[in-house]
Amino acid sequence: MQIVETTNEGLKRGYSVTISAKDISARIENEVKKIAPQVRMPGFRPGKVPANLVKKMHGAALHSDALNATVQESVDSLLREKELRPAIRPDVRLADDYAEGKDAELTVELEILPAIEVPAVEGLKLERLTVSISDEKVDEALAELAKNQKSFKDAPKTRKAAEGDQLIIDFVGKVDGEVFEGGSAENQPLEIGAGRFIPGFEEQLAGVKTGEEKTITVTFPEDYPATHLAGKEASFDVTVQQVKVPGETTVDEDFAKSLGLEGLDQLKGLLRGQLEQETNGLTRTQMKRQLLDQLAGAHDFAVPPSMVEAEFNQIWAQLQQEAAKEEDPEAALKEIEDEKDDYRAIAERRVRLGLLLSEIGQANGVAVTDQEMQMLVMQAAQQYRPEDRQRFMDFVRQDPMAAAQLRAPLYEDKVVDFLFDKAEVTEREVTREELEAAIEAEEGAAEAKPAAKKPAAKKAPAKKAPAKKEEAAPAEDKPAAKKAPAKKAPAKKPAAAAKAEEAKPVAKKAPAKKPAAKKAPAKKPAAKTE
Amino acid sequence: MAKKQEVDVRHYDVILSPHITEKSTLLSENNAVVFKVAESATKPQIKEAVEALFDVKVKGVNTIVQKGKTKRWKGKPYKRSDMKKAIVTLAEGQSIDVTSGI
Repeated sequence: MQIVETTNEGLKRGYSVTISAKDISARIENEVKKIAPQVRMPGFRPGKVPANLVKKMHGAALHSDALNATVQESVDSLLREKELRPAIRPDVRLADDYAEGKDAELTVELEILPAIEVPAVEGLKLERLTVSISDEKVDEALAELAKNQKSFKDAPKTRKAAEGDQLIIDFVGKVDGEVFEGGSAENQPLEIGAGRFIPGFEEQLAGVKTGEEKTITVTFPEDYPATHLAGKEASFDVTVQQVKVPGETTVDEDFAKSLGLEGLDQLKGLLRGQLEQETNGLTRTQMKRQLLDQLAGAHDFAVPPSMVEAEFNQIWAQLQQEAAKEEDPEAALKEIEDEKDDYRAIAERRVRLGLLLSEIGQANGVAVTDQEMQMLVMQAAQQYRPEDRQRFMDFVRQDPMAAAQLRAPLYEDKVVDFLFDKAEVTEREVTREELEAAIEAEEGAAEAKPAAKKPAAKKAPAKKAPAKKEEAAPAEDKPAAKKAPAKKAPAKKPAAAAKAEEAKPVAKKAPAKKPAAKKAPAKKPAAKTE
Repeated sequence: MAKKQEVDVRHYDVILSPHITEKSTLLSENNAVVFKVAESATKPQIKEAVEALFDVKVKGVNTIVQKGKTKRWKGKPYKRSDMKKAIVTLAEGQSIDVTSGI
């Protein structure tokens, strides 16, 4: 094998490699010898086929296999010999005029990772901004929660149902006079004006009284999930069991009990824990940002352009997607177009930080254990429907890329934790607003560096979002279902799953717009370098 | 392949296919090849056909008729068709690549 270096500029390397025909044919001979005992052919006992016949029959396949293997091997040995660390898969091309029995000429082009001397992990100075949770904050959250938790009281029999009232109804749905599946229910709560049933259903029930029976006709929307019903006209025989009027929810022991807790104190404790987690998330975000800023400031090395390009393309695609969703797509597009250079800088910074972090991790033996990985996969699987979970887990197990993508954020977190341990941390107590302001200020200074995990700052939306989703789901869902996700969502948030879940679709908007909703930086490059 | 086109088509009716087995590969030590040939083919015809098709010199031809086995299908006996094989010995220094077919 002869190696000639053709290009060497910056991080780009080019080589031409010649593999002698003898090497290849020797490999083929070997291969033939290996498979000959297993070859079956009519007219021969198994394994008694002469070698030359085997070669004749499977020659082409064997040859290409052998060629591939030799090419692979020679590229590997090339990398070893020259001590290169490729940033991307080397681009290997075979000379066009190659034929069997001739020397194979390869041109190998690759970009190498820059040689990073292991960054000094000592002497980093960080400031931890902590926020203490005041009782008022807890009360505030409690009030918020209570507002979301409507309770209804029985109304007098004579009351006519109006907008905002809740009805307890039995109904039997019919299409063309036939009772259809899933179209009947008993003791179903229905809130007029909530828009949770199919359009027209609730409106027609306005004005009914307790004990009244009514037949209403509605048309299923065209986009109704159950295709056999979509667009059909159906009649519902509705019996109104009870009309209820909304009542004020007061925050007391009973309220806590209605949520399935033991008492008000427990509820308060839970809320406090939640708030603390959120502010801890913010604190961590802020620290991480400081850390990354310091790292980025202290290290400056050339990064492989192709990796930057890949990262940039990713950002760009996301931005374009977002721009398309804006009210004025063209203006939004123009805006991001103007900031193209900024985004390129972000991409470069992200790649650099990713490389840096993975380097630090490697140098200091930070690793993700199998057990952690297992948990991560389980958590990520939670967001799928139960029947899809197994499939998702199989997919992750089989696809190393997917696994790497899951692992990357955790790995990064661990490295960051490691650095936190090493760094000198000074504590300072601040209010939540100051903390948020600090994050934003730094972001502006650091050209919108994305570092947060879940949009921790936006607690209320986070809590509401799942509930809303539930509401959007078709007709039959019980209020209980609404409660559950609302409660679960915040609890789950700090988990890595939430982060993984956010990893892709998270808004990487212009910094001013959604400061906290940023994705962990350099996640992708980290994944690649592993 | 221009040469093949000049070859009389009837030769193709004589030589049906090469017969490749363990035994036939052993025969290559004696510079012989085995063909399946038509039932009606005679030794002189086979010699002529092989010489014309493969452009070689034939030293001798031996033939065998391998009788078809008697088999039963749903209890009813039937007979597989017979097959005539020709062992063609080539002159010194000549060879045929049987695996490439005709």
